[in-house]
Amino acid sequence: MTLPPWAVAALAVTLAGLCAWLWRAGVGQRRLRRHLEAASRELENLQHSFSRFAPNEIIEEIIASGVARHGERKEVTALFADLVGFTALSESVEPDVLLRILNGHFERMSRAITDHRGYVSTFLGDGILALFGALQPNPWQANDAVHAALAMRREIEVYNKELAAEGLPTIAIGVGIHRGLGVAGLVGSRDLVQFALVGRTVNLAARVQDLTRSCDGDILLTAAVRDGLDPRFALHPMPPAEVRGVEGPVDTWAVARFDSAE
Amino acid sequence: MATALNRIDEIEWERPPLVERRRDAELEAWARAEGLPSGAVTQFSGSPWVARACARLVRKDLRDLDWQVADLTVVVVSRDNACRNCYAASRVFLRIAGLDNAEIDRLEGGLLLAGDNAALDFARRVSRANPPPSSADVKALRDAGYSDAELKELAFVAASYVMVNRLSTFVALRPEGYERAGRTRLLALVRPFVRAWVLRSYHRRHGEVRLNAEEKEGPFAEIVCAFDGLPAGCKLRAILDDAWAPTSLPRRTKALVFAVVARTLGCPRSEREAFRLLEAEGIPLAQGQEILAHLGSPALQPLEAAILPFVRETVWYQPAPIQRRARELKAGLDEEQFLELVGLSALANAVCRLCLVLGQLA
Repeated sequence: MTLPPWAVAALAVTLAGLCAWLWRAGVGQRRLRRHLEAASRELENLQHSFSRFAPNEIIEEIIASGVARHGERKEVTALFADLVGFTALSESVEPDVLLRILNGHFERMSRAITDHRGYVSTFLGDGILALFGALQPNPWQANDAVHAALAMRREIEVYNKELAAEGLPTIAIGVGIHRGLGVAGLVGSRDLVQFALVGRTVNLAARVQDLTRSCDGDILLTAAVRDGLDPRFALHPMPPAEVRGVEGPVDTWAVARFDSAE
Repeated sequence: MATALNRIDEIEWERPPLVERRRDAELEAWARAEGLPSGAVTQFSGSPWVARACARLVRKDLRDLDWQVADLTVVVVSRDNACRNCYAASRVFLRIAGLDNAEIDRLEGGLLLAGDNAALDFARRVSRANPPPSSADVKALRDAGYSDAELKELAFVAASYVMVNRLSTFVALRPEGYERAGRTRLLALVRPFVRAWVLRSYHRRHGEVRLNAEEKEGPFAEIVCAFDGLPAGCKLRAILDDAWAPTSLPRRTKALVFAVVARTLGCPRSEREAFRLLEAEGIPLAQGQEILAHLGSPALQPLEAAILPFVRETVWYQPAPIQRRARELKAGLDEEQFLELVGLSALANAVCRLCLVLGQLA
């Protein structure tokens, strides 16, 4: 049996159409797969990037379920640093200059903290909260925090020379360090979350920082930090002081230096 | 097409490498006797035991574990450790074994059978150790049909690359050769000619391998004995004995490296063993504790005081900063000492992670 020419032509056109459709469908499918793979890679890269800001298990939980409910009670050393005389400074310079001074300060302080394995948890106005031992276990967290504080002191000295050379007011910081238990996890609302430590440890570090305004020491630490500290740190005991939210006076020590040659 | 390889090769990597390849006739003869390509020992020939350890670990000697799971474990652990060299090399290996880049991406991304995906997650946990694998992770694998022997072999392959990744990263091995090879289509043309040779060199299936009485003694015997019956046991024993033999670094320094890694990882069993080894070298427990409390003590020799802070950084790290720290450290050491320090840190990371896993298997 032979087909009439018009039928052959129709069959050929149909076949060609079918092939074209299959080809297009294949191309579309491959493109979709490429997009899916690219999205998956992007997600993985994001996970890698975020691992600097929160522990991997929390990031994995967010990726798996959209939220992180996991909180962990852990021992962490909190370092709270605040600018001394910031209100007066803010009233004496133009807003742009103030922000430049502040951002230069944050940049240097953050570097000093991360260089000593700390994690900058948040900036609170002119203050910085850093955590040691929050992202990864760190048996030397107290030493790291105090080394970071000394590095911050050195950075401020260098920064002040730069500010003075520009004819700008110099700055000073007060640092409080406390070690204790807290609940680490993601806190915040749906729109704004951060990895943070919740509990008395952070509050006490901030209160101890307040004491630097009234005593002779720019870096103060509590007994909980001192107990695990390298004896090569030179410390001076401060008079016990009352702090808000804590029953009874709190013992603190001022950090003078680290005697590496001892 | 953007493959995973395109992304990981953007990771900052120090140049030039901290050590160069060098041929060593004795090591090459050893490699040939072991059935390994002689090139496997040229990279770290400055410290023979490190070169032998790396060559031993790169070859997979398995009894029960599936080859594809083992090979993909190497890919995911190397990616997790951001080791450009090992990641690219392991993908080239899979391509020679018969997969294309898209297939590797899909398998690596979790498109295996559910049990095998759980195996790769487990391997990542072994490598990260933050937190270490839990009893729930072990149960998930057992529920997926993995035997204890397969679990141990999986942990061993992951831990092997904890060591190999660190070696390659700390000395900043040039990754570009493998990265180029991974992208080229020519690899598919070469594959039929090299596939059998490559697989024969790096995949070895064994029966039951029992440790003899001598192999059940020595550093970290408890961990080695946990692998009795598997080829991993003899391999680990050989590597540890090789590392513990007299070399440029004293044994007490080697034990201190293990103690610091154990303390950083929070592995009390490994720490106890490290203290036992320190006591055998004349450092009493109290003194060892004092050293570890602050990584500093008058009892430390200047070399030890310089290297211990680096050792602690080797547990969790980013490639470029640790490579810069390694370069600074190398300036004060000769090549053998430097390679030994890098090798010991890497080995301690592998052994202590294995110890953490075995605690969950008991």
